[in-house]
Amino acid sequence: MATQALELYQVTKVFKKDAELIKAVDSVNLIVSQGEMIVFLGPSGCGKTTTLRMIAGFELPSSGKIMIQGEDMTNVPVNKRGIGFVFQNYALFPHMSVYNNIGYGLKSRGEKDSEIKNKVQDALALVGLAGAGNRFPNQLSGGEQQRVALARVLVMEPKLLLMDEPLSNLDAKLRIYMRTEIRRIQKKLGITCLYVTHDQAEALTMADRIIVMNRGKVEQIGTSMDLYRNPQSLFVADFIGQANTITLPVDRVEDKTVTVKTSNGWSFSARAQQSEKINKAGNAVLVVRPEHIQLAPYRANDTSKLSGTVISSVFMGGHVEYRLELGEYGQLLAFIPFASGNSIFKEGERVLIEIDPESAIFLPA
Amino acid sequence: MTKKQEHQEKSILIKKDPALFSALAAVWISLAVFIFLPLLKLLWATFFINGSFSFANLEKILRKPYNVKAFWNSIILATSVSISGTFIGYFFALAVTRTTWPKILKWFLGAVSILPLISPPFTSSISLTLALGPNGMLLKAFGIKNLNFYGFWGTWFSETLTYFPVAFMVLTAILSTMDANLDDAALSLGASRGRMFRTVTIPLSMPGISNSLLLLFGSSLADFATPLILGGHTFPVLPTQAYLQITGMYDLRGGSSLSFLLLIPALLVYLFQRYLIGKKSYVSITGKSGARSEFARLPVALTIIVLVMTLFISIFILYLYFIILWGSFVAVWSVNNTFTLEHYAYVFGHGSKAITDTLKIAVVSTILGSILAVVIGYVVQRKKFPGKRILEFSSMLNYALPGTVVGIAYILAFNEKPILLTGTMTILVAAYVFRYYATGIRSVVASLQQIDPALEEASMSLGADTTRTFLHVTIPLIIPAVLAGMRYLFIHCMTAISATIFLVSVRWTLLTTRILESMTELQFSQASAFSIVLIVLVFIADSIMMALMKLTTRKFGTSQEQIYGNTGA
Repeated sequence: MATQALELYQVTKVFKKDAELIKAVDSVNLIVSQGEMIVFLGPSGCGKTTTLRMIAGFELPSSGKIMIQGEDMTNVPVNKRGIGFVFQNYALFPHMSVYNNIGYGLKSRGEKDSEIKNKVQDALALVGLAGAGNRFPNQLSGGEQQRVALARVLVMEPKLLLMDEPLSNLDAKLRIYMRTEIRRIQKKLGITCLYVTHDQAEALTMADRIIVMNRGKVEQIGTSMDLYRNPQSLFVADFIGQANTITLPVDRVEDKTVTVKTSNGWSFSARAQQSEKINKAGNAVLVVRPEHIQLAPYRANDTSKLSGTVISSVFMGGHVEYRLELGEYGQLLAFIPFASGNSIFKEGERVLIEIDPESAIFLPA
Repeated sequence: MTKKQEHQEKSILIKKDPALFSALAAVWISLAVFIFLPLLKLLWATFFINGSFSFANLEKILRKPYNVKAFWNSIILATSVSISGTFIGYFFALAVTRTTWPKILKWFLGAVSILPLISPPFTSSISLTLALGPNGMLLKAFGIKNLNFYGFWGTWFSETLTYFPVAFMVLTAILSTMDANLDDAALSLGASRGRMFRTVTIPLSMPGISNSLLLLFGSSLADFATPLILGGHTFPVLPTQAYLQITGMYDLRGGSSLSFLLLIPALLVYLFQRYLIGKKSYVSITGKSGARSEFARLPVALTIIVLVMTLFISIFILYLYFIILWGSFVAVWSVNNTFTLEHYAYVFGHGSKAITDTLKIAVVSTILGSILAVVIGYVVQRKKFPGKRILEFSSMLNYALPGTVVGIAYILAFNEKPILLTGTMTILVAAYVFRYYATGIRSVVASLQQIDPALEEASMSLGADTTRTFLHVTIPLIIPAVLAGMRYLFIHCMTAISATIFLVSVRWTLLTTRILESMTELQFSQASAFSIVLIVLVFIADSIMMALMKLTTRKFGTSQEQIYGNTGA
C-alpha cells in the first residue's frame, strides 16, 4: 500500500474557557491520499480551522494521532513538519520585499543564494508575478499578496499545502478567478492540499473530497456530487446547496425506500438515508432541492400531487423563485427555469407541486 | 483538564520550550533580587525589631504631628495636582484635536508641552524660584513685595506645570481616537455644539480623564524634588520627610516607616489603575474607516477659553525656560546681572564627572532596560506559562512605587553582604532599569498586540525555529516600539532623582544631584547652567531616537506611531 499523505486518528482538541471544557474538535478521523485536494467546509466555529492548525502543528491535539506521509507528527513542532500554510490575511512579512518573503523559508533551511534566486524566480513565474520581487507587500493589491503568500509556501515544496480561508479577503470576482488558479497550480504540481472555507461554492469547485464539519465533528466526507445527492444529515443537506426540509408522516418503510402520506391523501416514495433510524409510526424529513421541483396549474381533487399556495414569486432572470405555503407542513422554495413565453404564477394562486423522486431523499426526523 | 495533566504541562515547559524556560528563569531571578528583595527589606525594617514583629516604628513616626501632617499634605497636594493638571491637559488636548487652528499653532502647543517631560524635575521649581521667589523677576516687574511663594501654593503650581503634559498625552490619545461620526450623529439629532460637547465628548473621554487623574496623583505623590525646593518647612510631604529622616538623622527605620506610609496610597492607585485598564472600553483603531468625517468644532465660548488658557500657559512655560537660560549666563542672579560664561566653565570643569557619569549610566541602563523590556513584553504578550499575570504585575511594581520608597529599599537591601552594591554603578543602573523599563514593556506589549501572530506562525511554518523567528520577524516589527521605550527610559535616566538621590556616591554622581546641591547652596546660576546642559543633552538624544523611530516605521509604512504615543505616560 502506498503511503498516505495524511492520516488523522481520533484527533481531539479541548479548550478551557472560563473553567468550562469545550471540545473544539471531536474525534476526527481522516485519510488523505497523495495529490488529493480536500476541502473542510462548515460554519464558523465548527472546528475546521482548529483541525487545520493541528495538522500544521500550530496547536497540539489534546488526544489522537497525526501522521504525515507515514510519519507520526503528533508532537513535532511546526518548523520540522515540512508543511506549507497559507493564512487568511496572507501574513506576509511587511518589512521584507516580495523576494525576501519568498526566499525566507529557503534561507532558514540554509540553501545557497544562487539556488534561492532560481527557485524564487520560478515561484514568482508560477503565480504570474515575475518581476515583482523588489516590491514590498504594502505596494501589492490583495490578489497579488495572495499570490506571494502562495509562492512563499510552494517554493518550499511542502509535503502538505494547508490553506485557511485564503480567499475570504478578496472581492467576489477575484475570488472566483483565484480559486480556479489555485486548483490549476495544485493539479500541476500534484501537491496534496487541505483547504478550509465556509464558502460552499469554493468547496464545490475546488475539492476532490469535501469534509463537512459541525460543532467539532465530521458530519460527512464525500465528493461534491455525493454530498449534494446523498446528504447523511439535515445539516449537510442544508449546507451544500439549498434544500427544503419538510417533516411528513411516515406511511411505510421498505428496505431503503420510505413512503409518506399527508392528511389529504398525497403519497410519495423516495430513497432514504439511515432508513433504520426512521420511525415507522412517526415522521420523516423529506429533503428536496428547489431546483428539483416542478409546478403545474391547480386541478381540484388531484391527490397524486402535493398542492400549495404561492406566497411570493421573484423573477431572477434564468429562473423564477417561488415560495409556497403547504399549510400544516410548512413552506417550500422552488426554482422554476424560465423560458420566454412561460407564464408566472401569481401570489395567492394555488398550484400543484411535482417532486422528482430520483432527486429527493428522506432522512430521520 | 485534570490536575495531573496541568502538572505535566508545567513540568515539561523546560523540555517543550527551553528558550522560554531560561528567559523566565532569568527574569524571575532578576525580579527577585531587584524588586522583591528590596521591598521585603523595607517591610522588614518597618515591622520587625530584633527579629520580632512590631508596630513600634510606625507608632513612633505617627506620634510626631509633623509626620501626620506630611501624610495629609501629600494626599492633598496629589489630589490638587491631579485635578488641575488633568484640567489643563484636557484644554491642551481639546486645542490639538477639536479646533481648526493653524497647524503651526498646534505644533507649538505640542512642542512646549514636551519641554517639562524632557526636563529634570527641578526645572520649573528653579525658574519659579527665580521668578516668584525672594528677589523674583516677576515680583519685581509687578512691584509685588512679600509674596510667600514657598509652601503648598508654590509646590502645587510647579507640579501642575510639570505634570500636565502627561494628562495632555493621555487625553489627546483618547480624544483623537473617538469616532467623529458620533459628533455628526449628535448634531444631526439637533443637539447644539455645547450640548454635543457635554453629552458626547466629555462622557466618552471619561476613561482617559480617570486614567490621567490617577497617573498625576501617583506622580505628584512620588514627587520629591519639587517639594524639597519649594515646600519649605511649613509644608512637609512624605518623600521629603523620608529623605530628611535618612540623610539628616541617619534614621533608616524611621525613613522606612515613612516610605511605608507613602507606599500604601501609591499601591492603591496602581491597583485601581490596573483595574480600570483591565475593563477598558477599547477605542479601537480599525484601520479601514471609510469616509472619515471631521470632529465637530467646540462651542465658541469654550474655544476662546481654550485659546487663552493654552496660549497663556505655553508662553509662561517658555518664559520659565528663558529665565533659566538667562540665569545661567549672569554672574549672580538678580544682584549682578553681567554676562558671564563662568557657570558653564564650572559645569564643564568641576561638573564634567557628573556629565560623563550620567551619560554612562543612562546609556547602560537604556540598553539593559530595553533588552529586559523586550523579553518581558514578549513573553507576557505572546507566550502561555503559569504565573504570567503575577510576572507582569510584579515587573511593574518599582515603577508604581514612589522613587523615594525604591531608593530607601535599595539602600536597605544592598548595603551589606551578600549583595553589597552601595556606591557602585550597578545599584544606580538597577534602580533606573527596574523602574523605567515599564514604559518599554508597555510599548512592546502594545506593539505586539497590533502584530498578527500569523506572521510568527508563517515564519515557523516556513521552517524557521523560535530564535530565528524572533530575530528576523518579531524584532524588526517591534523595533519602533522598542525605540519608543528606550527614548523614555533614557530621558528618565537622565532626569530622575527621587530614587537615585539615596544611591549616589563619591564614585558615581549624577547631574540631577549636582543641580540639587547647587540649589541648596543657593547657587541659582550654577543650577541653571547644569539644567541647561542636561536639557540640551536630553534633547539631542531624544532627537536621535525620534529620527530612528521615523526611519524604522517609514520602511513598511505603518502608522504605528500613534500607538506608541499613547503608551508614553
